[in-house]
Amino acid sequence: MSELKDCPLQFHDFKSVDHLKVCPRYTAVLARSEDDGIGIEELDTLQLELETLLSSASRRLRVLEAETQILTDWQDKKGDRRFLKLGRDHELGAPPKHGKPKKQKLEGKAGHGPGPGPGRPKSKNLQPKIQEYEFTDDPIDVPRIPKNDAPNRFWASVEPYCADITSEEVRTLEELLKPPEDEAEHYKVEILDPTPGKHYSQRWAQEDLLEEQKDWGPGQQLGKSEAQHEQPEDGENIISPMEDSPIPDMSGKESGADGASTSPRNQNKPFSVPHTKSLESRIKEELIAQGLLESEDRPAEDSEDEVLAELRKRQAELKALSAHNRTKKHDLLRLAKEEVSRQELRQRVRMADNEVMDAFRKIMAARQKKRTPTKKEKDQAWKTLKERESILKLLDG
Amino acid sequence: MALVSADSCIAELLTELHQLIKQTQEERLQSEHNLVNVQKTHEQMQTENKMRGLYTTAKADAEAECNLLQKARDKIAEIKSLLEERRIVAKIPGLYNDSKPPRKTMRRGVLMTLLQRSAMTLPLWIRKPGDKPPPLCGAIPASGDYVARPGDKVAAPVKAVDGDDQGILAEVVSYSHATNKYEVDDIDEEGKERHTLSQNRVIPLPQWKANPETDVEALFQKEQLVLALYPQTICFYCALIHVPPQRPQDDYSVLSEDTFYADSYPPPLNVAQRYVVAYL
Repeated sequence: MSELKDCPLQFHDFKSVDHLKVCPRYTAVLARSEDDGIGIEELDTLQLELETLLSSASRRLRVLEAETQILTDWQDKKGDRRFLKLGRDHELGAPPKHGKPKKQKLEGKAGHGPGPGPGRPKSKNLQPKIQEYEFTDDPIDVPRIPKNDAPNRFWASVEPYCADITSEEVRTLEELLKPPEDEAEHYKVEILDPTPGKHYSQRWAQEDLLEEQKDWGPGQQLGKSEAQHEQPEDGENIISPMEDSPIPDMSGKESGADGASTSPRNQNKPFSVPHTKSLESRIKEELIAQGLLESEDRPAEDSEDEVLAELRKRQAELKALSAHNRTKKHDLLRLAKEEVSRQELRQRVRMADNEVMDAFRKIMAARQKKRTPTKKEKDQAWKTLKERESILKLLDG
Repeated sequence: MALVSADSCIAELLTELHQLIKQTQEERLQSEHNLVNVQKTHEQMQTENKMRGLYTTAKADAEAECNLLQKARDKIAEIKSLLEERRIVAKIPGLYNDSKPPRKTMRRGVLMTLLQRSAMTLPLWIRKPGDKPPPLCGAIPASGDYVARPGDKVAAPVKAVDGDDQGILAEVVSYSHATNKYEVDDIDEEGKERHTLSQNRVIPLPQWKANPETDVEALFQKEQLVLALYPQTICFYCALIHVPPQRPQDDYSVLSEDTFYADSYPPPLNVAQRYVVAYL
């Protein structure tokens, strides 16, 4: 089954704790009959050992749940794909079952949309209140209004940070967390041309040379052209050491170096690093050819190819970083969900506040009319107060 | 008479604990069997449905094992609380004619051993899926209206002999709702004067350990300022966290200000999770 290769399960190694080694007291207690019983002094060590067993079992449980979830999601995905592509009758049996729960889930999420909507008025309530304050000032003191603008601007600037979390934001987070489908594709590296090109130090040196040429004019061209001829030769010889006979190379290099003018020799200094590396490998090959050194097994071309090795290193870093990001996003999603539930509670507190205020106003009105509030009003006031207390307790707890 | 019945109660509970432990082991054997099956199927995965079924069984087994272990742990806690109650009741003089009068002061070594044991056997908070650590677990502070019960240990800002410390380890005797004040006793000087402190100055010590493998947010992090009990004393000092615990049984490694080392920083000290609280 080709699908097995893409299976995203991690295939954890589930081993239960070896209680013989790690929990000796527990093992001893097991071996005894019930008549012997457990002594009070053994309680402490027993407790620690039970805690070890318990934390290992609960970790196993969590991992199993995560794996089951991955398996279900993967099967859903496969089921949908199959459903779309093939649409055969006998296959419709299994996939629609996966398809329907998925649709229900989406609808459930959409239902949350209007929920946090009323949460928004909180910030909007602040601003109209401030504006009311402004309006009452208006007839009294016209020139003062521009100065009082600062609070408005402050609240406006702070608002995006304090605003309620909407379900859309939670959904965006969840989408960000969706399984990385095509990551494997991104990590493939195809080597089109294994022969490395010119080393960047050489190329830059050449470019600098050309610039100087432009600056100094055509007078220096003769010397430069010689230097230019030298550079490509140097480049080839230095970077690609995979020649069969090292000796002719070295002699060729020497002749090249002898015939060079002062400027290329000056230019040779930046190349000292690749130069020594290739020199070492050429000496090694020479010795191997002479039979003085045993030829080591050549490792894969990765180690010879610096660029590929670097790429692999960066890929590993990237993988670690994206794994770290995923855990952070998971945490963020969990915190966001908790915050959403707390927001709903706060919303209920606000509504309870309004009810309490209504009851208060009724009682005040009754007092103003110099009559005692009716039992009904008193009961309602107490009821709203108690409701508000209970919601507040939920919020705190 | 009450003492005798408490004893028989404890004996009963111990028998029940033994039974629970035996049941737990049976459950673990069974889940081990299933886990072996899971391993085998990992290697030759024929259909995903079979895999899913096995995972579900393994999940159910793990849940059952967790439940039994949790019950056994709760049983131990019950036994311990009974023992503790007996100790507190025995402290009230004159209640039992045949019991010895309570010791006024304990030897220092005995006290230190007791403190160490109490730190070691602080129950570990096990996270269930969808749960989060409660107040008084590790670094999580108590909720606003929390009232410590008699017998709970707290950090009380009472000046001890040398003036550098920030508080002492004390045990709550009673709480008065009317005045919002606690009466606390020094941990090793029973019989000396009781201190009366207002509620917001007394810091309750954690009642659960946080598991570093699952609940990192319930632990103090490096460089956080805390109040920690200086080892082998009963005084709390300001300290900076050096290394938080890596495994559930580990201690915090803290750096404390210590006037004894005038020139350099004193070496880090190991303090158990039980005796590290936030510095307010």
